[in-house]
Amino acid sequence: MKKRTGRAPTGPGRRRQRAGMLMVAPALLHASLWIGLPVVASVVLAFTKYDVLTAPQFVGLDNFRDMLDDAVFRKSIVNTVVYTFFTVPFGMMLGLLVALALHTGLKARGIFRTAVFIPQVTATVAIALVWLWIYNPGNGLLNTLLSFLGIQGPAWLSSTSWAMPSVILVGIWQGIGMKMLIYLAALQSLPKELYEAASVDGASKVRQFFSITLPLLKPATFFVLITSMISAFQSFDQIYILTDGGPGNSTTMMTFEIYKSAFREFRIGYASAQSLVLFVLLMGFTLVNRRIMGGTRGHN
Amino acid sequence: MATTELHRPGVAEKDRPRTKGKPLSVGRIALYLTLSVVSLLMVAPFVWMVLTSLKTPVEIASQDAGLLPEHWEFGNYVDALKAAPFATYARNSFIIAFSHTLINVVVASMAGYSLARIKFRGSEVIFYLFIAALMIPTYTKVLPEFLIVRFMPLAGGNDIFGQGGSGWLDSWWALIIPGAVTPFAVFLFRQFYLDLPVELEEAARLDGLGEFRIYARIMTPQVKPALTTVALLTFESSWNNFLWPLLVTRTDSLRVIQVGLSVFKTENGPQWHFLMAGTTLATLPMVILFLIGQRYFVQGFATAGLK
Repeated sequence: MKKRTGRAPTGPGRRRQRAGMLMVAPALLHASLWIGLPVVASVVLAFTKYDVLTAPQFVGLDNFRDMLDDAVFRKSIVNTVVYTFFTVPFGMMLGLLVALALHTGLKARGIFRTAVFIPQVTATVAIALVWLWIYNPGNGLLNTLLSFLGIQGPAWLSSTSWAMPSVILVGIWQGIGMKMLIYLAALQSLPKELYEAASVDGASKVRQFFSITLPLLKPATFFVLITSMISAFQSFDQIYILTDGGPGNSTTMMTFEIYKSAFREFRIGYASAQSLVLFVLLMGFTLVNRRIMGGTRGHN
Repeated sequence: MATTELHRPGVAEKDRPRTKGKPLSVGRIALYLTLSVVSLLMVAPFVWMVLTSLKTPVEIASQDAGLLPEHWEFGNYVDALKAAPFATYARNSFIIAFSHTLINVVVASMAGYSLARIKFRGSEVIFYLFIAALMIPTYTKVLPEFLIVRFMPLAGGNDIFGQGGSGWLDSWWALIIPGAVTPFAVFLFRQFYLDLPVELEEAARLDGLGEFRIYARIMTPQVKPALTTVALLTFESSWNNFLWPLLVTRTDSLRVIQVGLSVFKTENGPQWHFLMAGTTLATLPMVILFLIGQRYFVQGFATAGLK
C-alpha cells in the first residue's frame, strides 16, 4: 500500500487519491450504467427471445440461425458494405484533394474550408430533408438543372436502380468536410525540410506527393478510414428520412434493419443479435485495416 | 536525419524558380476555380433550402419555375411556426443541448483531470475502460439503453423492479441523462490536463489548497481551449441527435427539432415551403455557432482525431 502511494508524482498520497477517485466517480458511474451495462445486456439479449412485454426467454443460437434465413438482413449487410465501399474511399480521395488544395496557402482558404465543412456541423436529418427535396422527381433542384440540359431525370429515390447511388452521393457530400479537416491538420504537421530537400533534389511535385506526403499521411489515412467506416456502417438518419429502406429494400442498411426489428416488430432479442453481428463486423474490419496499414509500414 | 540523407549536392540547379506569392499564375487561378466550384457544390443544397423556404407553394408546384423565387415569401416562416410547433421543438432541443453541454463539461473535466494528474489504485484500468467505451458503436448499446430507460425503477409509475409503468420514457430524464457524459470528452480533457506543468499544482498545494480547488481554480482555467472544444462539440451533437429522441419520446411537447422535422415531413405530406423553412430554422443556429466558434470547432475536430 505504501509503495503504491509512492507512485503519485507529487504530493501526499492518500487524501489526494481519494479526491481523484471522487472526481472520476460520476463519469465512471455514468459510463457503467449507460455503456457498460448496455453492452453486457446486448450480448445476453442476443441469445434470447424478447418482446418487452413478456420476460426474455433463452433460445440459444436461434436468433443467429434466423438471421441466416433472413434475406432482407443479408441484403442489408450487402447494402451497408456497398454504401461504405463507395462513400469512404471516394470521400477520402476528395477530402485529401481539397485538403491539398487548401494547404497551398491561398488567401481565401478560410472561406473555402468553411464551405466544405458546414455539412459536417449540420444535422443529418436536416441534410436528408434538403436532399429529399433536391431529388424530388418533378421540380427538385437536380431534375430542374438536368432539364436545362434537356435531360429528363429519373425519380431518384423511388427507383430501385437510382436510390442507392443517390444515398451514396449524399454520404460522400456530407463526409468530405471531416476527412478534409483531418488531412489538413496532418498536412500542417509534416516537416517542411523534407520538401525543401526533395525540391533541391529535383523531385517533381507529383513525385513529392507520392514519395513523401502520402507515406507520411499514413497515420491520418488510417484514422480517417477507421472513423469513416465506423460512421458509414452506422448510417441511419439519412436512410430513415430519404428512403425508409426502400424501394424494395434496395437501400436498407444493417442499422435500419436493427431499428425495424426492435421498434417496429418488437423483436428485441433478434435485434440485439443483429447489432452483435454489426459490432463483430466493425471490429473485424478495424483489425484487418490495422493489419494492412501496419504491414506496409516502412516499405516507402 | 532524413533531411541530411536527402541533401545531395549537385542537383540544386535543377530547382525550378518558385511561383510563390505570385497570385496570378495559371496554377493559382485553376486552384481558385476548382475550389470555388467545390465550395459551390457544398453550399448549393443550403442555398436551395433557403430559396425554397421563400417560395409560394404554387411556385414550388409549378414545373417550369426558376431557381429564384418570384416573390420572396418571408411569411412562410411565420406560417411554418404556426403549422408545427417548431418554437417548442427548438426550445426542447436547446434545453437538452445546453444541459448536455453543462453536465459533460463539468463531469468529464473532473474525470479527465483525475485520470491525467492523480495516480490511484485502478486509475489506469479506469482509463482503459473509457478508451474501450469510446469504441463501442451506438447500435450495440441503444437497445439496452432504451430498456433501462423503459424499466427505470420507481419512475413513471414503475415499481422498484421497474414494472408497471413507462419509466423514463417521454420524460426529460430520458432525453438528458443517458447521453450526458461522453467518454470522448473525458479522453479529450485528459489529454489537455496532461500537458500542464507540475509546478502549478505543487505551488497551489503549498498554498494549502485542497485537491478539488486545485482542479477548479488553478488547473481548469488553464485548459480553456478544451472547455470550449468540448462545449461546442457536445452542443452540436446534442442539437443534431435524432435516433435517441425519436426512440424515447411520443408526445409533441417533448419532441426535439430533428424529430419534429421528420414527423412534419410525413404527417402533412411534403409541404416543401414549410419544411424548408423549418429546416432552415433548425440549421441556422448550428451554422451561426460554427461560424462564431470556428477556430475551436476546427481545432477540436482535428485534435480529436490526431492525439
